[in-house]
Amino acid sequence: MDAQAHVLVVEDNELVSSALRILLESANHRLSIAASVAETLDIVAHDPPDLVFLDLTLPDGDGLALVQPLLTAGSRAVVVLTGHDDHETRERCLAAGCADVLVKPVPARDLLAKSAAWLSDATKSTRPISDP
Amino acid sequence: MSRVDSAAQAPTPLEITLPDSRVAMLEAQLKAASMEIAELRARDALKTQFLANISHDLRTPLTAVITHAEILRDGILGDLTPRQMEGIRGIISGGRQLLNQVGEILTYARGAANQLTLVPTRFALRDVLEQVSALNESLLKKKRLGLIVEIEAELPLVDGDREKIAHVVGNLLGNAIDFTPAGGRVWLRAARLRDESPDSLLVEVGDSGCGIAEEHHDLIFREFAQVDASPSRPHHGTGLGLTIARKLVELHGGRIWVESQLGTGSRFFFTVPLTQAD
Repeated sequence: MDAQAHVLVVEDNELVSSALRILLESANHRLSIAASVAETLDIVAHDPPDLVFLDLTLPDGDGLALVQPLLTAGSRAVVVLTGHDDHETRERCLAAGCADVLVKPVPARDLLAKSAAWLSDATKSTRPISDP
Repeated sequence: MSRVDSAAQAPTPLEITLPDSRVAMLEAQLKAASMEIAELRARDALKTQFLANISHDLRTPLTAVITHAEILRDGILGDLTPRQMEGIRGIISGGRQLLNQVGEILTYARGAANQLTLVPTRFALRDVLEQVSALNESLLKKKRLGLIVEIEAELPLVDGDREKIAHVVGNLLGNAIDFTPAGGRVWLRAARLRDESPDSLLVEVGDSGCGIAEEHHDLIFREFAQVDASPSRPHHGTGLGLTIARKLVELHGGRIWVESQLGTGSRFFFTVPLTQAD
C-alpha cells in the first residue's frame, strides 16, 4: 500500500470542511476533520497529522494556540486558511510558526498543488509519513 | 469661522444683553445637539463595524460554494457534460464576482474606520500596470476593447503598497472597461510629474466611453454614489470603487481626479509621491 499522508483540516464550518475533505481525499490523503480546539488536541494526542490546514476563528478559542502543540507533535507544516486577508493577520500567523497563510477561498487546484508541495517537503525530513 | 474668533475678541452687545433664561435655553440646545452628534457618530461606527463583520462572515459560505463548484469543474467527482460544465462555470464566476464585491465592502469599512495600513515595498509601476492589464485581458477581449499601455522610460521605483496601488489601477480600469461600449479604446499611462511637490508619478486610466458630466465629478468619489443609482441602471456594483481608490491614493499622500465630459470619454488621474507622506 502507498504511504498516505495524514492531513488534518481544522474548520468549524461544515460546508467548508466537507469541500476540503472531498478535495484533499481526491489526492489520496488520509483526512481528519476537527471543528474546535478541543477536537484538534484530541487528534494531536492520538494520531498526529503530517500537514494541517488551520482556521483561525474556532468556537472554543484561537486557532493559533494550536500551532505549537501541532509542531511539537511532529506536524511538518501548519498552513492557515482564513477569511482575513490583512497584513497583521499574516504576520501574526507567521510569527506563531505557521508555514503559510492562505486566504479563503483558495482555488481548488492551487490548494492541491500546495498540499503536494508541503507534503513533498515533509517527506524530506526524518519522520516518515504515516502508513495506516 | 471668523465669527467665533471675532466674537471672542470683541463681545457684541447682543451677547451681553441676553437674558439668563435665553442663555440657558441656548446652552440646553447646544448640549442636545452635541449629544445627538455623538450618538450619530457612535451609530456610524457601529454601522462600519457591522459592514466589516458581515463582509468577513459572507466569505465563509462563499468559500464553500466556490470550492464545491471547483471540485465539480475539475472533474474530481466525475466527468460533466458540456452543458453541466457551463452551469458550473457560471456558479464559479458569479461566486468570485460576489466575493470581489464583498472584499470591496470590507476594504471600504476598514478605510472608514481608519484601519487600512500601508505595507510598503519598493516596486516598478510598470509591473503593476502590466499585472492589472493581464488580469483584465479576458474582459477586454470580450468587449473587443483595445488597450494601450504607455509607460515613460526609466521611471523611478515607487516606495508604496504594491497591492493597494494595483487595487486602485484595477478599480479604475474595471470602470473604464465597464463604461466603454464594445469596440472602444482604453489606455493606461504612467509618467514622472516633476512640477508636483513632492516629486510624483502620474498614472492615467482613460477610456473612449460614455463620459461623466462635470457636475458629477465630485459625486463619483463619494461613498455608495453612482451617477445612475436606479435599480434599472445599466452598470452595477457596490458604488465603492472610486471611494476606495481615493482612500488608497490619499493614504500614499497622492491625489486623484477625473477629466471628462458627457460623450467624450473619461481620463482618471492619480499621483503617487516618490517621497512618501507620513
